Amino acid sequence: MAIAQARQRAWSARWSYVYLAPMMVLLVGFIVYPIVASLGYTLYRWNGIGDPSEFVGLGNFRQITHDSIFWHAVEHTFVFAAFVVPIQLVLALALALVLNNRKLRFASFYRTLYFLPVVTSAAVMGVVIQLLISNFGDKINSILLTLHVIDHHVDWLAQPHFAFAIIIAVGIWHTFGYNLVYFLAGLQTIPEDLYEAARMDGAGRRAQFWHITIPMLRGVGVVILILAIIGTFQIFDIVQIITGGGPYFATEVVNTYIYHLAFGGANATAVQPDVGLASAASFFYGLLLIAFSAIQVVVLRSLVRRRSQGVVAA
Amino acid sequence: MTVLSVPTRKAAPPESPLVRPKRRRPRPTIVLTHVALLAGGVAWLYPFWWVLGSSLKDTGGFFSGGLNPLPHQFLWSNYTQAWREASFGTYFLNTLLITLGTVVLTLISTAMAGYVLSRTSFPGRGLCLGLVSATLFLPHGYTIIPIFDTVQKLGLLNSLWAVIIVQAAGGIVFGTFLFMGFFGSIDRALEDAARVDGASFHQTFWRVMLPLSGPMAATVGLFTAITAWNSFFIPLVFTLGRPDLRTLAVGMYAFIGENSTQWTLLCAGSVITLAPIIVLFLLLQRFFVNGLAGAVKQ
Repeated sequence: MAIAQARQRAWSARWSYVYLAPMMVLLVGFIVYPIVASLGYTLYRWNGIGDPSEFVGLGNFRQITHDSIFWHAVEHTFVFAAFVVPIQLVLALALALVLNNRKLRFASFYRTLYFLPVVTSAAVMGVVIQLLISNFGDKINSILLTLHVIDHHVDWLAQPHFAFAIIIAVGIWHTFGYNLVYFLAGLQTIPEDLYEAARMDGAGRRAQFWHITIPMLRGVGVVILILAIIGTFQIFDIVQIITGGGPYFATEVVNTYIYHLAFGGANATAVQPDVGLASAASFFYGLLLIAFSAIQVVVLRSLVRRRSQGVVAA
Repeated sequence: MTVLSVPTRKAAPPESPLVRPKRRRPRPTIVLTHVALLAGGVAWLYPFWWVLGSSLKDTGGFFSGGLNPLPHQFLWSNYTQAWREASFGTYFLNTLLITLGTVVLTLISTAMAGYVLSRTSFPGRGLCLGLVSATLFLPHGYTIIPIFDTVQKLGLLNSLWAVIIVQAAGGIVFGTFLFMGFFGSIDRALEDAARVDGASFHQTFWRVMLPLSGPMAATVGLFTAITAWNSFFIPLVFTLGRPDLRTLAVGMYAFIGENSTQWTLLCAGSVITLAPIIVLFLLLQRFFVNGLAGAVKQ
């Protein structure tokens, strides 16, 4: 009886299934199945050709967690995030505050100007930056050569610190616009009455900023912060194009490290492609990020709650 | 703002205390703000000016010009040469087809799915929703290898379809959620009215609901178009063995390796890659920016 009823309900909703089918096929075939399959690969040593056969159990995970290059890549990724996220957020908030002024004309034009890098390809901008740097480097070289500071041509992108600084700068520049738009959206949710009331009470601009804008932005701010951090942890295109992770792994981030494991090293040291190892590294990094974001969410939530309770109590 | 207003306040002569400085402040501050914003914006976009100028230089001018974006003469032949000899014409067509295909496939599959998930009930709905949501939280692992494997088994390797399907799949969770939110917010009375008027399930969706979702479709479509046009990793992997199927971004990357000395052609190629998506964005930016803002506010 119940089965017949369920069948009838399913039949009457048959078009729902038909409408759902394309999305579900894509989801299962190209997202869910690959996630499950790549989890299986983590247990094999496999160069990606034919079927995986050499079972190594958790050996890949052991190898990854003992690989100093992996941990350096993690470190580089965190350093990248540690520079990009705070600088980007502070700059974006500052510009958003300026543009949020209702009396400022052409605000949306300026927003477009600063947003524009977001819509361009990181890969192509990486190429452009590379060309720019090689041109800029030539100029610097000729100046330094005539001043006898250096005695030979310097390849600037082969200087680890310089290369890393360039990657950070491009990282800030390329996704800055997202944070600008997010902050503008956040600022627009703050009711104008609050500022009016504050002004009537004699609050100055600074007091309004610290006692209205910042507390009111806290909810949106947490989302923006988390999105920015997640984004920077996935950095790949810029690094792959500008330095390929080099020189000698000095700018290797986790995603270029995994790419080099799966497709062979582009660096001076030739790495044998090992899809099992790449899958293990990727899965392990995914777990690291989940643990990290869980901690982050818990910490931020408790901070926000404590502060907002403080505000209510005051 | 405060930094900018400091010098004007200092410059103001200490006249009568009755004249409040607040009154005279706005004008110079606003002018300074505009100057700073405009100068900053022009500087912010410097890489674009530089690549645009360099794409019109000759090779000698490219090196002697250095960081100065202005070319001495306009060498338009860089573009014809990049288009024909450096295959950027082929890359452009491939990128265009891939972008169109990805947008159409994403829009149709996510609009239909978002509609039935938010407006109809059927056995298994919870399971489907759970599966869609779960993909957001699972660690993704290195999925490109099994994806490659699946595409190969489907016999789609070495075709633009491979890139289209894989890229569309990458954006469906995001699109489905956006459409679910949109259709979920539409008044149920509208659907009922359509049904009372004798509209079938299909007519209700295609004639009533879908046209209403225009702005949301524009948001999802533009997001998808920008992502598809700019994507690098997926087309790189799926065109490794077929240079004639390369997209613009992949073509640029390959060009560095193959013709490492023709910088000005590379710059022309960059402009060919960057310009269409910038124009598309400028035309439709309202939808993009609103979509982003909405995502954070929720």
